[in-house]
Amino acid sequence: MTRIPLAASPLATIAALLLVAGGTNAAERVTVVVGPQTPPIERYAAEELAGQFEKLFDDVAVAVRDSVPADAKHLVLIGSPDTNPAVREAVGADWPQLSHQGLAVQNVAGADTPTLVVGGGSPVATLWAAYELGHQLGIRYLFRGDIFPMEKRALELTGHDFVMEPELRVRTWRTVNDFAIGPESWGVDEHRAFLRQLAKMKFNRVMLSVYPWHPFVTYEFGGVQKETALLWFGNRYRVDGETVGKKVFRGAKLFENPDFAGLNTPQEMAAAGVKHLSGLIDAAHTLGMSVGISISPLEFPREFQAVLPGSKGGRGLNQLVVVPAGDQGPADETLRGLVAAKVSAYVNTYPNMDRLYLTLPEFPEWDQHAAEAIEILKEHGAPADLSVEGLVATASQRNLIASGARGEQAIRGNLVGLAFLQKLFEDKSLLRRPDGKPLGLVITAVDPALFPVLDRVVPPGAETLNFVDYTARRVVENRKLLAAVPAGDVGSQLILTLADDNVGVLPQSASQSLGELTSDLKRLGWQGFSTRYWVPAELDPSVYFLSRAAWVRDLTPRDAQTELWMTATGNRAAAERLWIAWEHLEQATNLIDEHNLGFTFPVPGLLMKHYQPTPIPDWWQEVTDLYTEYMIELYRAQGSIDGGAKPVLFYYAKRSEYVLEYLAAVKAVREAALAKEKGETEQAIEHLEVALESTYNCINTLSDIAQDQSDRGLIAVLNEYAYRPLLAEYEKLADAE
Amino acid sequence: MHRLTAPAAIGLLAAIVFRVAALSPIAVFGEDWPQFRGPNASGIAADSDNPPVEFSTEQNVAWSVDLGRGVACPIVSEGRVFATTMTDDSKFAVLSFDAATGKPLWKREFETGELPEITPPNEHASSTPATDGETVFVHFSTIGLIALDADDGSVRWEHPLPMPFYLMGWGAANSPIVYRDMVIFNLDDDLNPYLIALDKQTGSIRWETPRPDMLGGYAVPVLCTAGGRTDVVVAGTGKLKGYDPETGRELWTCNSLLRTIMTSPVVVGDRIYLASQSYGDTNRVLKFALLQWRDTDQDGKLAKSELESAFAEKFEKGDANKDGFLVDEEIDAAFQSPSNMVGGGNIIQSIKGGGNGDVTQSHMAWNLENKAPSNISSPLAYDGRLLLVKKGGISAAFDLEDGSTIWPKKRLRNFGNYYASPIAAGGRIYIPGENGRIIVLQAGPSLDVLAKNDVGDSIVATPAIAENRLYVRTLHKLYCFAEDAQ
Repeated sequence: MTRIPLAASPLATIAALLLVAGGTNAAERVTVVVGPQTPPIERYAAEELAGQFEKLFDDVAVAVRDSVPADAKHLVLIGSPDTNPAVREAVGADWPQLSHQGLAVQNVAGADTPTLVVGGGSPVATLWAAYELGHQLGIRYLFRGDIFPMEKRALELTGHDFVMEPELRVRTWRTVNDFAIGPESWGVDEHRAFLRQLAKMKFNRVMLSVYPWHPFVTYEFGGVQKETALLWFGNRYRVDGETVGKKVFRGAKLFENPDFAGLNTPQEMAAAGVKHLSGLIDAAHTLGMSVGISISPLEFPREFQAVLPGSKGGRGLNQLVVVPAGDQGPADETLRGLVAAKVSAYVNTYPNMDRLYLTLPEFPEWDQHAAEAIEILKEHGAPADLSVEGLVATASQRNLIASGARGEQAIRGNLVGLAFLQKLFEDKSLLRRPDGKPLGLVITAVDPALFPVLDRVVPPGAETLNFVDYTARRVVENRKLLAAVPAGDVGSQLILTLADDNVGVLPQSASQSLGELTSDLKRLGWQGFSTRYWVPAELDPSVYFLSRAAWVRDLTPRDAQTELWMTATGNRAAAERLWIAWEHLEQATNLIDEHNLGFTFPVPGLLMKHYQPTPIPDWWQEVTDLYTEYMIELYRAQGSIDGGAKPVLFYYAKRSEYVLEYLAAVKAVREAALAKEKGETEQAIEHLEVALESTYNCINTLSDIAQDQSDRGLIAVLNEYAYRPLLAEYEKLADAE
Repeated sequence: MHRLTAPAAIGLLAAIVFRVAALSPIAVFGEDWPQFRGPNASGIAADSDNPPVEFSTEQNVAWSVDLGRGVACPIVSEGRVFATTMTDDSKFAVLSFDAATGKPLWKREFETGELPEITPPNEHASSTPATDGETVFVHFSTIGLIALDADDGSVRWEHPLPMPFYLMGWGAANSPIVYRDMVIFNLDDDLNPYLIALDKQTGSIRWETPRPDMLGGYAVPVLCTAGGRTDVVVAGTGKLKGYDPETGRELWTCNSLLRTIMTSPVVVGDRIYLASQSYGDTNRVLKFALLQWRDTDQDGKLAKSELESAFAEKFEKGDANKDGFLVDEEIDAAFQSPSNMVGGGNIIQSIKGGGNGDVTQSHMAWNLENKAPSNISSPLAYDGRLLLVKKGGISAAFDLEDGSTIWPKKRLRNFGNYYASPIAAGGRIYIPGENGRIIVLQAGPSLDVLAKNDVGDSIVATPAIAENRLYVRTLHKLYCFAEDAQ
């Protein structure tokens, strides 16, 4: 192509006149080119990039084409030499060697038309390359949307040559879960929006974590049909005249997952459940993510007790499940038949899922079969010197939530569960999809006492998803356990808790602990991680960090947050305040974790469990002070910027107000109990009034900024488990007075 | 019936006049509620004797309309209701409805241009209109004052005013009043506070009085007649001031108020009553708030970049040593008048009108401190008592004459915020909570709850009462409630 010097061109004069006259056709033209047979994800990458350019640059007109136009001014070629002939022609042998997940962005040297290639070792890696380019150009991807640089700038596509391979190749996002405060409340549409953001952050797996009572599958065994089909442990959340913050429910009489609204019968629920989960799988696949379903193979709805003689009611809310117990051991044929029926039901109901996660029970009831189990494990490759006694000693003495007697029961039951699975998967057909393709298997929650022999206690070819303790801080305290895993011999992923349901409904952060743990994972050669959380609200910085640290070796949480907030606020001082804010938040999280795990666990008794006449612990004030500092820093930063992250900072700030009101309510409830104990009823009523006002305010504050179903679910939970029981107690006392 | 202009007519005389008119077979127009909180911002509909007690979104609804977001109060004049809203991100609208049926009469939209920052629960459609029955006057932050023909909504004039700026980003929410042939409007912001009177026919300036010793605030001017003289009375930072309505000249000042005044005073006879709470204690002047919230890098001093550029001139004025920072007293010097370095606290006061010069000592009838007034909800002076309601649904009542306590802090058992102010008619008091519940009290010497009514949406705007109808502007809708409505 011959370039005509602009000044010499007769068109230049006309163009200049048009510009002076405010002409409308002065936009820089960028053509994004995909291959004629391009995979859908690469076309999506091209469209995403085009949209981003228009928001990033002044006066650009971006078009997506499947061939290079003759009059192109700026070219962006999407894909790889394998998927796009234009890329092949432009870079030829200069294209770097990339893994399936590797990505590359290259300026083409010497091209007549400025040309940038954006591609990867697979179509989804090409999509990630487009998003990585967006990141490098200043876009920051968060849960609820993207934050673009404060000012648009002139088109500039040079200087962005890079090749990247992930440091952590498994980046799993867990969803569904349990509790109304979490994604169990989200419909497919809301999930889809989240998944789109996660794709931008290069998460490559989705794990659908479901439970035995959920309405996502039906199966029959021994003449018993699965009838249980519940969300949220079967709990319901009323919306009526007493409901605080009811405006967020838009006139509904119940808080519901929109995909299940108005449904009552098990059949209706199950049909909606299958549609829901299938929708999630399709949504993730569209974005190039693989999908697994995580089930508890050894827990069943209570109706199956009839076909499982001797089984016991499992622990957990509302006692919805039964678990093997008594005579049932690792070789029990009936149990094997029931589990096979359940597994097959999932495989056949969701024929396009990519892997199955099998979670071992947290509270097993069949620990008396440990000796038999360890022999089965040895038959399947476990070391000969492995002993129940040695493992029990390790488990009972460790500093984990499952230690002492609970630790002993956990390791014994874990051995039985693993032995059962070894025998179950002697039948290879169970892990074959209806289309004949093999299904990936991931064993979740192998007891840490077995970490040193992890590769030899799980079925051949299985990966492992490993749980150490509830909070990231606790895992850091026990990080030596991670080093025991033979990560080179078995695919190993770690559950990273971003926010714990035991710590509860208050804003949390684990960024700095996540920094320690991701550093360990990279150093020790683990595959990667899977997230664990319920309310997504304050997790943006943590997830942002994970998304970057998975690709950048030495990135620290502080580096990541500076990178995030500097761009999102355009203000160094604001970014510094936000780092301090999240430090306070993490300190508050850790303080609650250390002193009272379960402080705001979202279940009945949430607030009134503090209505007992025991002294107010000192740490309550400490945690209040930390959340206060958190709030102040958020408002400082929020008030100092225009645009950018201002709305999201306001959302965080209002949620920090909610915490302070909630903590005030907790304190007032305790003071009321102390006054009541002394017979000072009038004072008790006054304290309850303060508690009611604070609880009211905390919920009302949330309702002012509720954005998603988790926010609405939290409001529903706080009404049901905090406000209503508190109001009942107040009215009881006030009326008696 | 035309609205009575003399404030002295509000009270006994007004009640007599209204009642006589109501009995007259030739009465044409009903009762009006022509501005923020009705006649002279009193919150009292003297001519209504049977406003609804129980109502909801399904009970006693005479009519309702979807308005869109807004927090300005509805007003009523000559059988029409006027309200405002934002119809999209950059369109402000004034609307008129038939007061009896809710039938839309007209709607006038205005392009707003780029909107300034505001802090919830404030909304951009926040200024309550005022009317003399012929013209509707309303303020909008980016436009100024607007006059519309009350019959058809045509624009009679627009008077541009400077855009207000607030150090804390609250946003504008100031409302005009009509007095004789003038529209009087007070706008206390943190940049250029002023009181202005415009000719209501032409929009030309009759007088303008700067209020340089004020900070951002939201009190609506009230009229007080004492000793045969009618003054425009405005509450603001540290001072309650009386102005000559003909010239705008400051006549008197009572230096007993607090830093931030968001409530409006009420007048009964020749007494002015004010109740307000302002952040912090008496020693916490502005610099503490600014260093807490605006000093982003927390270096203990304010850089110019930490404030909106609109405040550059004030910044320069305060930066005495020209080091590019505001430090310690420089912060207050930049924004607060050296003669008005007042702090926070809470007050309930009764001040006699009609003075001259500094009346702080001479005209203070009584002053109560630490009785927990609201920072936003204005007091109601009704039936010989001053009623206050604040966050948490805490009410209190005091004797108008001597300030003695009628009932101390008592809960309404309706929690949450209270932004709208109580109003009254027919011996009933209406207390709107932000949560959408309107508590109805029987006026009297004790707290007597008649009903708790749920209107299903947030309430920030003070409702209106006229001709026994209750008009409630929720965040999104306008309701008209009346006894026995179908």
